[in-house]
Amino acid sequence: MWFVNFLKSSIGKKSIMAGTGLCLFLFLCSHAAGNATLFSSVSLFQAYADQLHSHPLIVSVFSTGLFLVFAVHATTGTLLFFQNRKARPQGYRVKTRAIKTPWASMTMIYSGLFILLFALIHTAAVSFGDHGRIGETIATLFSSFFYSSFYIFSFLVLALHLSHGFWSMLQTMGANHPRYTLLIHRLTYIVPAFFLILFTSIPLLFFFGTGR
Amino acid sequence: MKTIDLELEIWRQKDTITAGQFENYTLKSISTDMSFLEMLDVLNEKLTREGKEPVAFDHDCREGICGTCGAVVNGIAHGPEPGTTLCQLHMRHFASGDTLVIEPFRSRAFPVRKDLMVDRSALDRIIQAGGYVSVNTGGTPDGNSTPIPSATAELAMDAAACIGCGACVASCPNGAAMLFTGAKISQLCLLPQGQPERRERALAMVTTMDSEGFGNCTNERECEAVCPKGISISNIARMNREFVKASFLG
Ligand code: FES
Repeated sequence: MWFVNFLKSSIGKKSIMAGTGLCLFLFLCSHAAGNATLFSSVSLFQAYADQLHSHPLIVSVFSTGLFLVFAVHATTGTLLFFQNRKARPQGYRVKTRAIKTPWASMTMIYSGLFILLFALIHTAAVSFGDHGRIGETIATLFSSFFYSSFYIFSFLVLALHLSHGFWSMLQTMGANHPRYTLLIHRLTYIVPAFFLILFTSIPLLFFFGTGR
Repeated sequence: MKTIDLELEIWRQKDTITAGQFENYTLKSISTDMSFLEMLDVLNEKLTREGKEPVAFDHDCREGICGTCGAVVNGIAHGPEPGTTLCQLHMRHFASGDTLVIEPFRSRAFPVRKDLMVDRSALDRIIQAGGYVSVNTGGTPDGNSTPIPSATAELAMDAAACIGCGACVASCPNGAAMLFTGAKISQLCLLPQGQPERRERALAMVTTMDSEGFGNCTNERECEAVCPKGISISNIARMNREFVKASFLG
């Protein structure tokens, strides 16, 4: 009962967002590591995929877990969006923000839903394809201008989402201490930039024909 | 004496149930030495002379310490000057010809009573839910018998600077009251005197905050930016820790 009460509370809901956000962040790290093999060659990436799929239990446990985490993050986020709109039934006539850069936090719901759309398209195109030929699938997809642009745009949106999400996760977890303020401030830029560069350089590599 | 002319658009609402609307007023020759509330006084005297209903607004100390005043001026709670209550905002920060849109603090938990006056008793109920602190009775304790590190005392004092004006709620895009509640929980949980009821206080205050109809914090930082007392969102982080600990450890 106490646990349900905790989850239903305002701080419980933000903790759900932070907890699932952390899981998604860790998934992104592991995905980035896997993708990094593409800098070497498609065959190395294929070998990595083959190795991964030689452990079907691990793959199914992790993909189910990831799906659940994704679903909880998206559902709670959407719920918060609608609940919060009701907290101010009559809005202000003048809508000015006191902080200078509210873009990321203002657009979390939209960037989040876009990432959900991307994740669905991306899994449909890649994960549900033939795993034995995943390297080829990727090489074909990335040589398409349309798919590459969509992919790059999605990671720009993800970087925007993370530029609020990463800091917000730490704040929710209670990590706010003068000693770490500077580090956290820097990570707010470094983390999204890192993922943006790593993920978008791969389609660029293929598109300009330098990917092997 | 320097003076300015202003166009005002003020939210007028008869009572909680009647729908309100904006009304326009022109004020000439307002001294830049006046405070914002004195400017409203001038307007009200003019309205009274014209036989019209003056604009209702809350105020008490007019020196920035009681937390009674407050309105949203051109979209910013307590107006454009950071770290200032509305009563301490001076007209020298405005220029002649400016149009000022003045709206009440808006939140589901703050029903408008009349014009710019809102009912902020939801904040009082959060405080009430916090309960009491246990104090030993008996002889007067020695002044230095409860050592408190200076850094801790400073943090508690910073949190205690909250005057409960509700600007955090008014400015939060989600209408959340977490900066207020965070400050109130922090000021007691940091000090030795607040320890015996620490857990139950965090649970009760957060539960009351949620039931009063405030929104959920999504770390927008608007509250910190408009707070006239500079209360930091590190108090919200502390409240999160307190509430999680209290929920999980009882
Ligand atoms: S009237 Fe007391 S703080 Fe403004």
